[in-house]
Order: sequence, then C-alpha cells, then structure tokens
Amino acid sequence: MAMIMKHKLCIALAVAFSCGACGDFLDLAPPSERNVQDFYNTAADFNNAAVGAYAALKLAGLYGNSIIWMGEVATDNTDYGVTRNPVNVDNFQFIDFNYGSLNGVVYAAWRDAYNGISRANHILERIEKSNIPDAQKQQYTGEAQFLRAFYYFYLVRLFGDVPLVTNPVNSPNEGANLTRASAEQVYQFIISDLRSALGLLPETYNNANRGRATRFAAQTLLAKVYLTRKEFPAAVAELEAVINSGRYRLLDDYGRVFAFDNPHNAEIIFDVQYISGQVGQGSNLWERFAPWQSGVAVLGPNGGNGGGINRPTQDLINAYEEGDLRKEASIRTSYVNAQGTEVQEPYVVKYRQFGMLPGDGDSDFPVLRFADVLLMLAEALNEQGRTGEAAPLINQVRERAGLEGLTGLSQSEMRLAIEQERRVEFAFESQRWFDLVRTGRYQEVMNDKGYPVMPHHNFFIIPQREIDLNPAIKQNPGY
Amino acid sequence: MKLRIHTLTGTRFGLALAFLSLPLLIHAQALVRGIVTDPNGQGLPGVNILEKGASNGVVSDIDGAFQINVAPNATLVFSYIGFAAREEPVGGRSFIEVTLEEDASELQEVVVVGYGTQRRRDLTGAIASVSNKEITRIPVSGFDQALQGQVPGLQISSTSGAPGGNTNILVRGVGSISGGVEPLIVIDGFPINNAGVANPLNTINPADIESIEVLKDASATAIYGSRGSNGVIIITTKRGIAGQAKVELDVFGGFQQVSRKMDMMNAKEYAAFVVDGRNNGLLDNNPNADLNAPMSTRPNSFRIPARYLNPESLTTTDWQDAIFRTAPIQNYQLSANGGTENFRYALSGNYFDQQGIIIESGMKRYSARANVDGRLSRRLSVGMSLSPAYTDTDEVNAAGHYSDLGVIVSALSMPPDIPVYNPDGSYGNEIPATDGQVPIQNPVKIAKELDIKLTQFRLIGNLFADYELLRNLVFRVSVGADYNNYRRRYWKPSTLSSNQPMAPAIANIAATEDINWLNENTLNYNINVGNHSFNAVTGFTSQRSSNSRLFASATNFPDDLVANISGGQVNSGLDAINEWSLLSYLLRVNYGFKDKYLVTATYRADGSSRFGSANRWGSFPSVSVGWRISEEPFLKDNFLLSDAKIRASYGLSGNNAIGNYRHIGLLSETNYVLGNQLAPGLAPGTFTNDLLGWETSKQFDLGVDLGLFNNRFNLTADYYDRRNTDMLLNISVPSATGYTNAWVNLGEVRNQGVELAIGGRILTGAFKWDANFNITFNRNEVISLGAEGERIFDGAGRGNTHVTQVGRPIGSFFGHVADGIFLSQAEIETHATQPGVKVGDVRFRDINGDGVINDEDRDFIGSPLPDYFYGINNNFSFKNFTLSVFLNGMSGNDLFWGAGNGILYNFAGVQNNLRAAYTEAYRSPEEPGDGKTPRNIRGGINNNFRYSSLYIFDGSFLRVRNITLGYNLPSVASRKIGLQAARLFASVNNLHTFTSYPGYDPEVSNSGDNLRAAGLDYGGYPLPRTVTFGFNASF
Repeated sequence: MAMIMKHKLCIALAVAFSCGACGDFLDLAPPSERNVQDFYNTAADFNNAAVGAYAALKLAGLYGNSIIWMGEVATDNTDYGVTRNPVNVDNFQFIDFNYGSLNGVVYAAWRDAYNGISRANHILERIEKSNIPDAQKQQYTGEAQFLRAFYYFYLVRLFGDVPLVTNPVNSPNEGANLTRASAEQVYQFIISDLRSALGLLPETYNNANRGRATRFAAQTLLAKVYLTRKEFPAAVAELEAVINSGRYRLLDDYGRVFAFDNPHNAEIIFDVQYISGQVGQGSNLWERFAPWQSGVAVLGPNGGNGGGINRPTQDLINAYEEGDLRKEASIRTSYVNAQGTEVQEPYVVKYRQFGMLPGDGDSDFPVLRFADVLLMLAEALNEQGRTGEAAPLINQVRERAGLEGLTGLSQSEMRLAIEQERRVEFAFESQRWFDLVRTGRYQEVMNDKGYPVMPHHNFFIIPQREIDLNPAIKQNPGY
Repeated sequence: MKLRIHTLTGTRFGLALAFLSLPLLIHAQALVRGIVTDPNGQGLPGVNILEKGASNGVVSDIDGAFQINVAPNATLVFSYIGFAAREEPVGGRSFIEVTLEEDASELQEVVVVGYGTQRRRDLTGAIASVSNKEITRIPVSGFDQALQGQVPGLQISSTSGAPGGNTNILVRGVGSISGGVEPLIVIDGFPINNAGVANPLNTINPADIESIEVLKDASATAIYGSRGSNGVIIITTKRGIAGQAKVELDVFGGFQQVSRKMDMMNAKEYAAFVVDGRNNGLLDNNPNADLNAPMSTRPNSFRIPARYLNPESLTTTDWQDAIFRTAPIQNYQLSANGGTENFRYALSGNYFDQQGIIIESGMKRYSARANVDGRLSRRLSVGMSLSPAYTDTDEVNAAGHYSDLGVIVSALSMPPDIPVYNPDGSYGNEIPATDGQVPIQNPVKIAKELDIKLTQFRLIGNLFADYELLRNLVFRVSVGADYNNYRRRYWKPSTLSSNQPMAPAIANIAATEDINWLNENTLNYNINVGNHSFNAVTGFTSQRSSNSRLFASATNFPDDLVANISGGQVNSGLDAINEWSLLSYLLRVNYGFKDKYLVTATYRADGSSRFGSANRWGSFPSVSVGWRISEEPFLKDNFLLSDAKIRASYGLSGNNAIGNYRHIGLLSETNYVLGNQLAPGLAPGTFTNDLLGWETSKQFDLGVDLGLFNNRFNLTADYYDRRNTDMLLNISVPSATGYTNAWVNLGEVRNQGVELAIGGRILTGAFKWDANFNITFNRNEVISLGAEGERIFDGAGRGNTHVTQVGRPIGSFFGHVADGIFLSQAEIETHATQPGVKVGDVRFRDINGDGVINDEDRDFIGSPLPDYFYGINNNFSFKNFTLSVFLNGMSGNDLFWGAGNGILYNFAGVQNNLRAAYTEAYRSPEEPGDGKTPRNIRGGINNNFRYSSLYIFDGSFLRVRNITLGYNLPSVASRKIGLQAARLFASVNNLHTFTSYPGYDPEVSNSGDNLRAAGLDYGGYPLPRTVTFGFNASF
C-alpha cells in the first residue's frame, strides 16, 4: 500500500514539476486595449488609421491650442485677459516676446505635428503592400499625403529647418539620428505630397464622410505653399482651378460661415471638425475666448468660466472700418456681469454657442475657406503686377462685409489693402502671424505698434527638450 | 467545559495509578503534572515539554498546565518561542512548577523565511521580525501603520490621515523610478496583489497576525525572484495551539482629534490683506492707475469688495472648526484557539469602526478568520486558512485645490468673514464670485454633498498538504486564491460646483474584480549528520492573476433624486482587463558546520507574461555566509560577548512591477468627427519592445548580530549596498519619431545604508525597563539614466516640481532659489534682471550667472527622502502595571508645501492665507516685515509665489507615536469575575509631533505612492491624535 502510494506521489510530483504548456501560459496580450500586432491589414483598419491621422489636427499643439497663441496672440490682433500667475508664464511669453525654450505651447506644436506625421507615415508604409480595394487605397493614400504635407507646412513655417521623417520610426534609438533638413527640402517634400494627393483625392464625399480632405483642399493648400514660396504663377493656377470647380462660394452672411449649426457650408474647403454631445469631440473656442471669469454673465449656466484667451486688442477693434458687418459678427467690447455692471472687456463671438457646456461646442475651426482663396489669388496676381485683376477679388470679400469696393490702388497700396482685409476677414482664425511672416512684414507691423518683435521672431524657439535629446538639432539663431 | 472534566478525571485516574504502582515499578513511567509560567506568574500555553533523550513530549495547555508520563529520574526540556529553553530534572516529583525566562536574544526564535522557517541563530540573511504584541498596541486600521518605526530599514509613511488611509512602504530606500517600489506582501505563503480601494492592507485584521518578518537583503529575497527586489514582508497569522479552548475578547474605543490647527487670518486681517494685495497689483500692472478711482473702473481682479473697505463689522468664522470634529474609534475582536494534537483551530471575528476627524469620513471593517490544521496520519497533515473581510469607507475629498473641491484647501482659503451657514440656513460660500474674489465652495457643503463610497470584499483562502515521502523529506502542495471585489462610487449632485450655483450632476462607478491564484509544489529535505546540518527546498510554482475593472459614468441627470449612474445617461463605460502570469522554479540550500559556519544559496527562475517575448525568463541567484564567532573556542563562555555572528550576502532579485503589457505596442484611440458624427480612429500609441524585462537589484549586505552579558543586550547592524539596474524607464525620445517616450530597461539607482537595532533589558528587578532603538541611514542616488543630462520631471499634477537626475536622489525638488526679498531699489539694480520686479518682491538667485532670471535658473532645492529615520521604544513594568512609550522620527527630508504655494501662502490678497503672509509682509522701508515674506500683491509681474525654495520646508519630525498604560488584573481578581486573565489599558497615539513644518503634518503627502514626486502636501488629510481605552479578557 505504502509503495503504491509512493509511486502515485512520484507521478504527481513529476506532473507538478513539469511544464507542458509554459509558453501559452505566459503569452498574454491586453484584452482591453488594441495593439499593433494585427493592425494595418484591412480596409477598415486603414480607414481607422486615416481618421486617426485627421484627429491629430485637434491635438493641443495644433488647433487644440498652440495655433491660437502662435498664429494670433503673438500678433497685434489679440492678447490674454488673465491675471499673471506661475502657471501661465508660457502664455504671457506670447505677449512679452521673451520666449523660453521650455515654452510648453511651442513644444506642443513641434511634438504634435510630428505625431500627425508619424500617423501618416505608418499608413503610407503599410498601405502600399496591402490588398485593399484600389479606390480605398487611393483615397487613404491621398489623405495621408495631404495630412503629412499639412503638418510639415505648419512645422516649416513655425520653425524653419526641421527633421524630415518620411517613414515610421520603429525603435527608440532611431530618434537620435534625425537631423534638421533644410526648409527647401521640406518644401519640396510638401509639394510632392500635395501634387500626389490632389491626383488621388476625390472632389467630394458622401454625407457620412464630409470633413475629409478633398482634391480642392489639397489644391488650396498647395496654392498657399506656393504663395509662401512666392511662386505666384503656380499659386494662381491652383487657385483658379479651385474657383473654377464652382463648388465653393462666399456665404451672403459672414457670421453664418462660423455658425455652430452650419457645418460644411459652401464657403468651407477644409476645417477641423467638432461636435457636442460629450463624446470628447467638442470645440472649446467659445468658452475659452469668453472674458476670463465672466461665467454665467456671458456663457450662461453651466457654460464655464471664460478663459480670456484671444482677447481682441483695441488696435484690432479699431481696424474694422466703419460699417464693417464682420465686426458685429466677430467681437463684443463689453458685457454686463451678474451684478448688472457693464464690464469693459472685449471678447470674441465668432464661435458663439450660448448654452454649450465648456469644451463641448459644435463650432468647427476654419482652416481653408473660399474667402482665403479669393484673397490669396488677389495677392498672387498683385505680386505679379496684375493689380487690376486683384481688385475685383478683394472687393467680393469687402462687399459681402458691407463695405465699398476699392478702386485705383497702386501695387503697394493693394498689398496693404490685402493685408488689412485678411486681418479683419480672418481674425481669430490664427492666420495673422503666418500672413505677416509670409509677406515679411511681421517685425515692421509689430514694432510700429510698440511690440518688441525682433527679426528672429520670424521663427519660433526650438523646444529645449528636442535639442537635449538630439545633439544634431541646434537652436534657431537669435534665441 | 466537558473537555476539562474529562481531563480532571484522567488526571485523578493517572495519579491513583501512579500511587499504586510506585513501590513495585521504580523504573516504570510515572505521571508528572506541572505548570509553566512566565516571569510574571502567568501560565504559558503551548510550551513544548520533552523528555530528554526520548521521543516523548506534550504541550502545555491554556493555563500553562501539563502532564506527562516519564521515568521519575528523567529530565524534562521546556522550550517556547521567545523564552530560554530550560532543563528540569523530575527528581521523583509528581508536581513541577517551572518559570521560563524571556530570551532577549531571541536566538531560539523561529523565523519565517520564504518557503520555510529557520532558527534565528542560523540566519545568514537580513531579516527582522515583529511580534503580534508590537503590532496590536497601536490603534490603527492596518498593520502597515502599526509597523511604522519598528523595523530598521523599513520606512513607512502615512501619507493620509483618513481612516484607512494610504501608506508608503519602502524597504531600504526607493529602488525604482518607474516600476513599483513597494515590497511584496506574502500572507501565509501567498504573495498577494495589493489591489483594492483606499488602503487594501486594511482588509487584513492586524489582530490575526502572529508575526511579521521583513526580508531585506538579497539572500532573503532572491527566493522570490522577479518580485523580491523591493523587499518582502511575510505575514504569518495565528494558528491553533493544542489545548483547552481559549476564548479572548479584545475591545478598545476612544476618540480622535486633529493634532494641530493652522494659524490663519481673521476677517479684519484678511480685509486689510485684500486691500493691500489688490492695490499693489493694480499699480504693478497699470502704473498710472488712480487708487481712488471708482472700483468699477478697475480690471476685475484688482477690485476690492466694499465690505473689506469697511471691515469693522466683519465677524470671523473658524473654518477649521467647521470641517474637523472629535471622531470616535472602536474595535471588537473575539477569538477562539485550541484543539488537540491532531486537530487545531484558530478562529476570530473582528469589527473595527473608525470615523474620520474630517466630517463625513470614516471606515468600517468586518472580518473573520479560520485557520485549521489537521494531522491525518503519521505522514500526512493538512491545513487551511480562510479569511473573509469587508471594508466600507466613506471618503471625503480632503486633498487638492478648492477648484477640485478639496475640502481642506476650501476651508483654509475661504474668506474668514463668510459664515458656514447664511441666516436663511443655506451654505455660505463665494459663489458666484464678484469684485475680484475667486469662487470657493463651502467645504461643509462639499463634505456633505459629494458622496464617495468605497467598499471592498476580500477572501484569501489557502489549502495545503504536507506528506512525508521519506524520513526528513516532505512534499508540500498548496493551492490558494485571493479574491478581491471592490468598488468606488462617486456622486456629485447638481447643487454642488466649485464655481457655479448649479452644475450638471455627475456619477460614476468603478467595480473591480481581482482574482489571483497560486499553486506551489515544494520538496523540503532536512538532515543532520554529526557536525553537518543540511536543509534544501526546491519547488515549482505557478501563479496567475486577472483584474477586471468595470467603469461607467453618467451625466444628463434630470434631477438629483437617484444618486448613482441609474439616474442619468451613461456616457462612458469600459471593462479594463489586466492579466499576468508567472511560472517559477526555486531552490535553496542551507548548510551548517558545527553550528558555526553557515552557508545559504538560493536560486529562482521566473518566467513572466510581463516580459517581452525575446526576454521571457529571468534568473535570480544569491549566496550568503555566516560565522558564529562566539562558538569559537576563544570566545566560548565569554561573559561579555554571549553571542556573535558575522553575516555577508550577495545576490540578484528582480522587480516585475513594470506594468502588464508594456512590451506590446498599443494603439491609442484617436477619434475624430466625420459627417457630424463621431468617427472612430486609431493611431500607434507606444513602441513595441520585445526585450523589455524586469529590473534587476544587485545587493550586497554585511551584518553583525551581537548578544552581550548573557544576551541581556543585543545589537544587530547591517551595511547594505543595493544597486538597481536595467530599470524600467520611460525615456524621452525626440518627438520627431512620432512618440515622446519609450519604455526601455536602462539606468541605475543605488541605495546605500546602515541599519542599527539595539535592545536590552535595562532593569530586570521588580521594576522592569526594556528598551530598544533602531535607526536607518539611507542614501539614494541615481547613477545613470537614458541620455546625458536626462531629467525626469514629475509633480503629481502640480507642475514640474520634482526632478530625477543622475547624481541626485530620486525625485529631488527642483526650482528657483528664493533669496529673501528686495529691500531697496539699489538691491534690485545690482541683482540680475528680474522682469517687472519691485521693492518688496522675492529675489531669485541667478543660478547660471547670465544676469537674467528665467527657467534656466532652477536648481536643486531639497529632497523628500530622509537622511535617517528611527524608532525608540521603552517598556516599563512594575507589579501589574505596564507602560510603553514609543517615539519615531525622520530627519533630513524636505517637503513642498503645495497648498501654501499658490493658495494659502501666496501673499496675493485673494484666498485666506497663513496669518504670517500678512503680518510678516513687506509694506514699506519702514515696515519691511521679516525680510523673507514679500509684499502683498495680486498678479504681480515678479510672480512671488512661483514654485521656489520659499515653499520647501524641512520635514524632519519626532513624533510621540504611542503611549500605552496597562494594568494586568491579578489572577485572583480576574478569576473572581470569571476570567482567566484580564488587562485594562489606555493609550494615546500621536500625542505630539516636534517639527518646524507649517502645514498640518510633515508625513502627509498627496503624491501617494508616486515616489518620483514624494513629499508634496496639497492639503492632505492630517493624521489624528487618538485616545483609546480598552481591555483584553480571556475566558
């Protein structure tokens, strides 16, 4: 009996100490998180990845936050209506023009643009070898190229020479080898991506897909790239193609272009999409641009506090001509607080959505719209000495705003007229800084108004973190 | 009772038999009765009584009584843990009374080690033991709080004083930057997941614990392989002792109070503070402003409410009195212990109820335990433990900014003229805020309306069987499970908001099921041959754990009638499943020669699902040696040095607390909007790293154990050098890669230290005085990180306050250095440029000497890690009275008073501040204040209250942790009232804390278990002072 017992125990021991299925036992993948192992295979995967690449537009470094500071607050258009405190030091650097290399807003722009580029790179690398239907392959390829170009265009204008990453980075060690490419190389890459994209992208989408980049979005963006590079004839060709498509027009009512309940209107060529409903996709422009701590008085119950960001300067308010309908549609100069006192505090109403919860609005952020096409074309023509042809274009925009048309301007007068028109037409759309730098007028305009802008401010400061992590990257001159 | 009669009958029968047989059988066995007592005359149950040179033995019963059949000329050997063994010749007696002396050296003590036990004298590793007595005397919810200050090398901080609040537990310093830093906790052989709500260790009833062993060096922890690098705490629960049933009732109750209050401004001081702060702020931002112009012309933030311009009629509310209360605490423990040699049991039930010193907070625990052991045959014995526990915690949102509804900061920052209740009965508050005031919600309203409930049910069950395969060869198989179900419910009604009269109600619930099961199969072999003793244990174990967290939140509540997600629309939900698995092979060999030369070698191989596919198995060897020098002829029988041992060990252990799936590249959800509908999107979120693995700790330990004057005094000292390499690091990578961070194994942290424990019986007469003292010096230094100059910033959500950098301790404070204030324009002009600075502003040091004060001028301004920490324990007894006094402390650690920075000490004239922020402030050259406190100003361009050394304080403290006065009822008296024994006691916990820290308590920290940002007090829940009275009675 004892022997049998012992024998049995020996078997039990042998079983207990052996390890028949160790491999499986230790192979665990996250059941609640999607991982990369089986991704980038099906058309649905690529669709999700493309949506993900669009979503980078909403990151804090792009339309989520940084572009407001870099594109608008860093100009004579707006300032920041909040008491200084230790946590908003970075924000006040856009007012004081004393950028530090640790500025989080500037860093976010660099970081998030590359995040978007990486998302596009992953798609482009994997889609080529995939077996998805051609139509989808073309569309997703075009979208990824459009977005990659878009993010690079943003980067090259903000920082100048930047690392040109055109493939996915698969190992942490590869990052240290990325040197800055010349702006020229970056621009050539952008142009090649956009030229390819405009051949692949559809002219329009069905209702369920509105908001994706079309052929005309690529063409308008390409025109902007050419304009920035002063390749005016090339810009004219693309812009005329957009106009001639007949798909876009100026809305009669300027205010309706930005109305939260009027998405995808006929003036919009490309914008950043937001919806309410507390699904994490809301717009925060209205609440953030409301006067700081105005609360219920401006935003209504549950509307938030008011962020005081992008507070219009008196100079901008004065820039609206007498009778300009856009002023009423864009700005208020005071509000009545809960105690019934009138508070003199200007604020933006372009994205007004009374009653929305903070950060949960529907207003889309306009990126490319038909008025921009007209004014870019006017600029491209005027720069080629075709000032007479420019006038009717700028006047279309002025007449919609209830202003008289301009006549008989010289080329240089027309330049200033376009600059002025763009300022009020695109106020709070984060175009001002890019416009002034493009035309080489940033320092002059700002200095005239007493802002201590210096030549090196035509680019932003390179984030210290990127310099520390990659010795090949040096600070922009002047910083 | 029946059992007792039976025993008596048996005794009489035996006596009669012995009497009758005596003349005839001189050499025959005789029944000897007796009693074993401790030096106080109390009966000692469970004493082993053996006939010397024979296999005959018994165990004393509950009263210390025993009976044994031995030859009249035999010698009895009495042995009991913690007491010196004693030999007593029977000498023909039929009744023997023996008193055992406590063995201060505890050399005979059996110490629980990983996968076995060892005599303390044979130990070659660094292991400290704490007995039940030292754990239960402190009236707290968890053993972790009770262990504080008792063990050298074990640093425990109560980071929250809330009932059932969090503790940090560190063995020999902080050993990881990004991985887990807390030790593995093993209960009766089962390594548990420290999962749960509030502090999950509260589910373990301290009164059920027999002993706690703290495994510190590699020789002791390497047997736990990839989980041993942060040390191991082994908890052994009480098991049954054969003998008559012993029923015990332990009860204590008392009350708790906040141990100190902060000195805030009264209403009139606050009014003057507001006036100064706003006027100065106006002039700083608009130099040409006219202070006499109407308030309505001022920008909002510089307006002064009319009531502060005429403050005579203002009355002061003490907001601290509004949120703190005297709170009761009570505990009831009923236990039964007994059984026969073949079947033993230990049963207990416990009810613990601690209300919090902040209103609306408290915790209750209901727990039970059944430990049963049976001996089925000569070869086979089995055992089982089952311990259900349920905790129910009412959490109050104590810590955090007032805008996050932190109760403490709301109370302290509330303008003192605001009443708790308005005349109409509504809550007083600053909502909506007008005239430059900021919105602050009434903390009493927050405490009452914000409803956070935590519940946890835990069942740890363990089953084992031992089978003696051959003589000295035992096979053990055990199966155990730790089932944990916990949930957190959160409800914020629409009536509560930090800045609005009303705000949408929010509810959420997180319900988690955590199941952890373990199978262990070990073989244990023991043999002693001549001068050689040999012990080996080898085994194979497998463990798997699964955690599923269901979370749902709801909004759009039409009303506040249903205070959970059912009342609204569920807008998000998830089931986060986390699993891990672990397979291990282990081996330990102990060898001793002449009890003098000792060697231990251990090895464990761990395969873990957490490691990348190219690096799945890790090996963890260790070796240690000991030399009992006192056994050498030249020291034997030395009067001074009664015992001496030198130990040395070196080994590797691992840290697998690196997250469950870190090696797998994840996709992040990156949704967008298309066609005005939510469109799901995905994007790569993290790198894939097939090589990612455990962190390796390489530890060297050199120790000495001494017993002096016949072990009346003892000393243990250890030097250790603990190097943690291949650390899990989330290194920064250039953003151009598309990622900002990547998880890799890189870098090294070193903890080097000395531990010292000294104890002794100073007076041993009628008036006894025992004392022990322990102290630990630890130096933490980051040896290497990823890229050169890499700085890992952290701040537990309060900005980049801490930095981890090579050459410094983990999580050092990093910021501007405040050098007093500018007292004249001349001082400003000779100092580096500080934009916008004026006389009375803080002067910041120009660290890099470039003549400008900016971000580059930050420096190391302190470390939250202590230079040393210590505990001092004194026990006095005289007749039936006992008195114990326990002090503990910490020195050299700094704290960032986060609640002061930005709120309570911001000099701004907005929120209420410490009184000194006004009374000591600079006003004019004639009234310069204390020279450190800047002028009162709101929105000053100089940012006086930016994060700087102004807010770093010395966190050293010495705490009178516990004083307990006890009275043992004389046996005669207790028997009169039907008890075997009874003890009455009164105790005070946290009587006083000596510290210069201005916040409530230098131990409290908001960073919880994040040691990269430790020592950050953002209005955390203060530790209470507790007074309790109680009794222990045994029946």
